[in-house]
Amino acid sequence: MKIDRSAVARLLAAGALMFAASPAFANKANDTLVYASDSEPENVSPYHNNLREGVIIARNVFDNLIYRDPATGKYEPQLATSWTWTDPTTLDLTIRQGVTFQNGDPLTADDVVWTLNYVVSPEAKVVTKQNVDWIKSAEKIGNDKVRIHLVGPFPAAIEYLAGPIPIYPENYFKKVGLDGFSKAPIGSGPYKITAVIPGKGVKMEKNTHYWKGSPLGQPTIGKLDFRVIADAETRLAELMTGGVDWIWRVPKDQATQLKSAPNITVLSAETMRVGFLQFDALGKSPSAAPFKDVRVRQAVGYAIDRKAMIDNLVGGGARIMHAACFIDQFGCTDKGVPRYEYNPAKAKELLKQAGFPNGFKTEIYAYREREYAEAVIGYLRAVGIDAHLNYLKYAAMRDAHRAGKTPITFQTWGSFSVADASAFTGVWFKGDADDSSHDAEIQKLLKDADTSVDTGKRLKTYQEALKLIAEKAYLFPLYSYPANYAFTSDLAFTAQPDELPRFYAAHWK
Amino acid sequence: MTAAGITLEAAAARRRGGLLRRSLGHGGLVLGGAILAAIIAIALAAPLIAPHDPYNQDLAHRLIPPIWQAKGSWEHALGTDKLGRDYLSRLIFGARISLLIGTLTVIISGTIGTVIGVCAGYFGGRVDAVLSYVVTTRLALPVVLVALASAALVGSSLEGVIIVLGLLLWDRFAVVTRSATQQIARTDYVAAARAIGCSTLRILGSEILPNILNALIVVATLEMAHAILLEAALSFLGLGVQPPLPSWGLMISEGKQYMFFSPWVIGVPAAALVALVLAINLVGDGLRDVTAPENRG
Amino acid sequence: MLSFTTQRLAVALSVALTVSIVAFMLLHLSGDLATAIAGPEATAAQIAEISRQFGLDRPITLQYLDWLWRAVHFDFGNSFYYRDTVTSLVASRMPVTMTLGAISLALALVIAIPLGVLAAVYSGTIIDRLALGFCVLGQAVPAFCLGLGLIIVFAVQLRWLPVSGTASWKNYIMPSIALGWYAVPAVMRLSRNGMLEVLSSDYIRTARAKGLRPSVVILKHALRNAIIPVVALAAVQFGFMLGGSIVIEAVFNMQGLGYLAWEAIARNDFPVVQAVVLILAVLYVALTFLADVANAFLDPRIRLA
Repeated sequence: MKIDRSAVARLLAAGALMFAASPAFANKANDTLVYASDSEPENVSPYHNNLREGVIIARNVFDNLIYRDPATGKYEPQLATSWTWTDPTTLDLTIRQGVTFQNGDPLTADDVVWTLNYVVSPEAKVVTKQNVDWIKSAEKIGNDKVRIHLVGPFPAAIEYLAGPIPIYPENYFKKVGLDGFSKAPIGSGPYKITAVIPGKGVKMEKNTHYWKGSPLGQPTIGKLDFRVIADAETRLAELMTGGVDWIWRVPKDQATQLKSAPNITVLSAETMRVGFLQFDALGKSPSAAPFKDVRVRQAVGYAIDRKAMIDNLVGGGARIMHAACFIDQFGCTDKGVPRYEYNPAKAKELLKQAGFPNGFKTEIYAYREREYAEAVIGYLRAVGIDAHLNYLKYAAMRDAHRAGKTPITFQTWGSFSVADASAFTGVWFKGDADDSSHDAEIQKLLKDADTSVDTGKRLKTYQEALKLIAEKAYLFPLYSYPANYAFTSDLAFTAQPDELPRFYAAHWK
Repeated sequence: MTAAGITLEAAAARRRGGLLRRSLGHGGLVLGGAILAAIIAIALAAPLIAPHDPYNQDLAHRLIPPIWQAKGSWEHALGTDKLGRDYLSRLIFGARISLLIGTLTVIISGTIGTVIGVCAGYFGGRVDAVLSYVVTTRLALPVVLVALASAALVGSSLEGVIIVLGLLLWDRFAVVTRSATQQIARTDYVAAARAIGCSTLRILGSEILPNILNALIVVATLEMAHAILLEAALSFLGLGVQPPLPSWGLMISEGKQYMFFSPWVIGVPAAALVALVLAINLVGDGLRDVTAPENRG
Repeated sequence: MLSFTTQRLAVALSVALTVSIVAFMLLHLSGDLATAIAGPEATAAQIAEISRQFGLDRPITLQYLDWLWRAVHFDFGNSFYYRDTVTSLVASRMPVTMTLGAISLALALVIAIPLGVLAAVYSGTIIDRLALGFCVLGQAVPAFCLGLGLIIVFAVQLRWLPVSGTASWKNYIMPSIALGWYAVPAVMRLSRNGMLEVLSSDYIRTARAKGLRPSVVILKHALRNAIIPVVALAAVQFGFMLGGSIVIEAVFNMQGLGYLAWEAIARNDFPVVQAVVLILAVLYVALTFLADVANAFLDPRIRLA
């Protein structure tokens, strides 16, 4: 920074503007952890958004039936004290007694049954169907016993129950409805929501009656304040001036430079989030016609230098992905999956074969990390594809994509932190709203895989599907996303690869 | 804004010899004119003078600092941007885009505004009432917001921005040409032209237009500056010119990311934009002074 | 005076009506409403049902009249994005923008009028030139650049002021400077010209001839008359500020109307955009109407024109 502090200070001290340092609302002294992120969920009800900020709130405010230890990957009891498979499509669970919701209502087997039946009902309009559509129904089979009937065999069920399936309070939800719930949600988790302010954020307070013995542990920080700050520089400035305590998604360059700032800790870690390009392979939008040709899609793969992007733009912690999933997810593999190494000459050759010797014009849609999208545009330009960027908010991009208006979409997917490939590949290829290729063969393979109890067969079928996806280049995986967290040095915070900041486990130093 | 308070006889006499002399004697006009001429020259000669392809990305050589910093080199005099593109070349080509936006917007909005203003001023009465009402309606619409919404509807692109701004920024043209036309239409020789049976079109073309030209040029320069600033604002809000075009507004908006640690990334295009807008405003104010000194200020 | 007022009122109302048509069309051009309301996964039958339910299958003029009737009663329907009514969203954001606009205007007047008076009193001198130069330079700096510059200096470097948000009065200082900045040149020029005109008028010369002190002449006699046109301009500038605060609100992350509209545009939430456009436009119309009437009251010549 080239500004001469003393000169500016003298100049202004002479002026009329004389203000004492503003009292910060953040920090240890107030026992309030202010965390800022760029987007706000359209609805804080966890089933009704698919935004990471929503997932974070869900994990801090609600309880799941089962807990997965992020360190060991082992499943542990949470709201369910035990569970057994009666057969591959029937799961019996015992529900913990003595847990109460934040409004004082006891959490019972009825709440569990109601929640599961509600989320699979069409009127619930769950945003990410993949998360729940393996459930057929739930029933109460005893005072504290719940039975889940599955649509078909689904070995990843436990992983989902440990993830994006929080339990809602039946009576309260029925009383206030979804609209009321979205304004004042009630869960049983370590933090309770005290205010949802559209456009500004969400305020939370420690749940002092959080049940003892929870694998999540007891929360220690008194208040959480989630502030939506769309602008990355404003977030950074707020952190540097103590206006907020915790930010993430700090771009590589700034993260490097922040490390030298006093009182700020920078933490970099890989996450499960994978960035990828999705093509409108059916040519639904007018300028997507070229992408109906598999050679054009492959050409895009050869045109992009992912290694250079990681080395220079994305930063440490990122890995190149070759298959349409996160490599550490169960079922995900890149063995036998064709690879597209950087080879612009080959890309040009393929474009020529496809009848585009001089390239073509098209549109690319993106919603995060604009510079990544711009780098992709630069690479495409080098082989003759003139892609025009449409940079939108996530909800608008998702709607445009689902309506078939986007020739290339720069997507990222964090799989709801579910460590099973179905949470990735299934969302994008099983024929749901986000599937833009609608390839019957792939859909069948994935359905077979997800309903197969035989682990070996499941892995093999996944491999086949992933190989096919890569061969047909419906989706071009780029790399896993590193997360750069930056926070006040007063805070003890550990990051997990599932991209879920666990504020209930954080504490002041 | 009554730049048209020109009496015709005086204007005619002045136009002959004094204009150039007075222009050269006007410091602001000379300075603004010089900067503007330089930027136009750079824009026209962009392919000849730009050291690199402004779109050529090289991730291995990104964010090289400019020459005045420790690690700068003449290879990239103004350094490179976040994608390793030569900043100087982008700045040079960006001049084209900013000038293009300014010029085309003013041509569109100037045409609309002049037609409205001249008709309102010349025909008066009911025509004037209706057109003034149209102008008032336009003024009531919040420009930035409507421009943003329209850009979102037609899709943000260079053409989109130009059309949207062109369709929005005609109000001042209409206001100024209206009052200028009113004054000229009242003069004796327009009455004379009418008396000898000249057609309305002919009177508008040969008597009115030439005489409101000065006022028009002044408004045009000021609106050009306005358009360039608005484009920058739209790009800043993400709905202006889209990458990879090197518009200065877009470069500022992209450079924002580095404002705390590498301020030159935002400083360079910002300085260029301020220089351009300043130059255009100086020229506009200067022209107003020399063509109608009694309206200075 | 009465006929002047009624005439102006008629114009203001018809302008407001036209603006409402523009705002209405904005929503209808944004895409098929029934599809948008039904959500991305709705079936054709569901969309048709929504279309019937919301009356979207009726003729467009009928829909417009219906919408206008509701709008007049402050009912703008529901946001596509938030599970909330547009009215409550707008109501919660309105105070921020109004406060910001009011402080900005006050700041601009406090700076611009003295500067204009100074420039007029010392017309032709270096002070006059500096004041005009300041104007030209000021107009050339994009609002967001000024805002970012203020953040770097006063928030990050000096730590005097908070960066973003609307938590306390301190949050309004930098945004108000950045927004008010753009009204300064216009107000300054107008007060300078008004002052010049008044200073050369007969009664000021008389006052001077009577031997009154120059400061008394300027402050007591000249300023009062020179300020009249500034009142009208101030009202118009306030309207412009409300409309232009969108950029400033974005820079300082202030949840005002502009920020709401900006986010709504990016999310295709056009019921909100529509309402904000209409409200800002109607506010502008109302302000100019009041300014016209006030001006005519203060200066009888206008009434006769």
